Amino acid sequence: MNNKEFLTELSGKCQMSPEVTAGHVQTLIGVMENLWNSGDSVSLSGFGVLEVKKKNERVSVNPTTGIRMLVPPKLVLTYKPSSLLKEKLK
Amino acid sequence: MDKKINLSQLADLMSEAGGMSKVASEQFVKNFFDIISKGVLDEGIVKVKGFGTFKLLQMENRESVNVNTGERFTIEGHQKISFTPDAELKERINKPFSAFETVVITEEQSAELSDVEITKEELPTAESDNEEPVRIEEETVPVETVPVETGSVEAESPEAESVEPVVVNKPEAKEPQVKEITQKRGTRILLKIVVYILSLILVACLALYLLWPLVGKALIKSYADKSKPAVETIKPVARESIQVIEEAKLEVEEAKPVIEEAKPAVEEAKPLVEEAKPVVEAPKPVVAEPKPTAANDAQPFNLNQEDQAKALSKFTEADTVNYRIAGRLAVHTIEEGESLTKISNKYYGTKKLWPYLVKYNNLGSSNSLMVGSKINIPRLVAK
Repeated sequence: MNNKEFLTELSGKCQMSPEVTAGHVQTLIGVMENLWNSGDSVSLSGFGVLEVKKKNERVSVNPTTGIRMLVPPKLVLTYKPSSLLKEKLK
Repeated sequence: MDKKINLSQLADLMSEAGGMSKVASEQFVKNFFDIISKGVLDEGIVKVKGFGTFKLLQMENRESVNVNTGERFTIEGHQKISFTPDAELKERINKPFSAFETVVITEEQSAELSDVEITKEELPTAESDNEEPVRIEEETVPVETVPVETGSVEAESPEAESVEPVVVNKPEAKEPQVKEITQKRGTRILLKIVVYILSLILVACLALYLLWPLVGKALIKSYADKSKPAVETIKPVARESIQVIEEAKLEVEEAKPVIEEAKPAVEEAKPLVEEAKPVVEAPKPVVAEPKPTAANDAQPFNLNQEDQAKALSKFTEADTVNYRIAGRLAVHTIEEGESLTKISNKYYGTKKLWPYLVKYNNLGSSNSLMVGSKINIPRLVAK
């Protein structure tokens, strides 16, 4: 399901035009981004938790060349599916 | 900070930002995530522009070991939902740390980092409850450093698609990265120089501290009058002996050509050997001679050092502060074999008070004491 299909389905469910839906999607993402930037996590029952985690710096080695590199610390947006959603996979 | 925002709170914030009613926005948010989860379950992949990609991954069976018992067991294959944030979103989230760049570690640096490295390699495993972001990082690392290989990376895994935009941006970011590295090296070299200078200063201070007793002795030497002239007379003697040795060396060196000249003569004709030998032997006594003189000169010097040490120890015993001079006690005529300490012992019953004799008689350099000369003995009153 690509972005276009996703928007059509969402607009159909909310009874809005795809253009308006696209705008709302961007606002929703913007709102969530602000939350993540301030260190909050978005937890949705039945879906999972979206939160920003700090990954520590580390030394990575290229296995073929043996070149060692220091990978800097970074903030990564992570998603952990809820157990409800996991259950549905089985 | 560190709050857990649930659906209704998210809907409230959304309605504030987007001008929707709370009910409508809650419905919208609910639908948004419902469709994502439904899409992932049904189609295996959902892409949302500006957000990211949700994907269903098939994990194969794999063998593992029970940490407690050491038993081997298989983790059965299962499906897993992965989320890869959009490159733009990823960058915006990582903005606080965006100044950092991956740095290639050289041999010397790796030694410095060796202790840091251990902690680093443990940490990712500590956070392994979601393995996905870690793997994404690993994929981006080779891509960042070897931008040429992007095509092959793409072919290897469909996941690289999401990495692609990062790759496009990277060459631009490379230049500041290089600058940063050179800057870091510069500061490192500066640090090394500073440390080197500091260590030099430290060594100098230590040397001064260790040599202080010698320097102190040198200062005290000026007071230890008896030993001083002896040292002065000895020094030239020592110099003379050194000169003698040096002259002898020169003689030896001069003699060498003679020996060398003699050698070919030996090779050329045997009858000449007898003539050549005395020439060779001749310089030897010259070399041998200066040695005894040097040894003889050295011995008195050592003895004198001992005297000096004795004088010093006497000096350090001397008492110069506990008494004051109150008039003349007597006049003493110096006899042979007498010293100030002996005179002090005779009149005061202690050797320690000889400095008062020096002071009272203005004996700036007390080596000028002559047998038969008279000195005044001060009367000392305890303070």
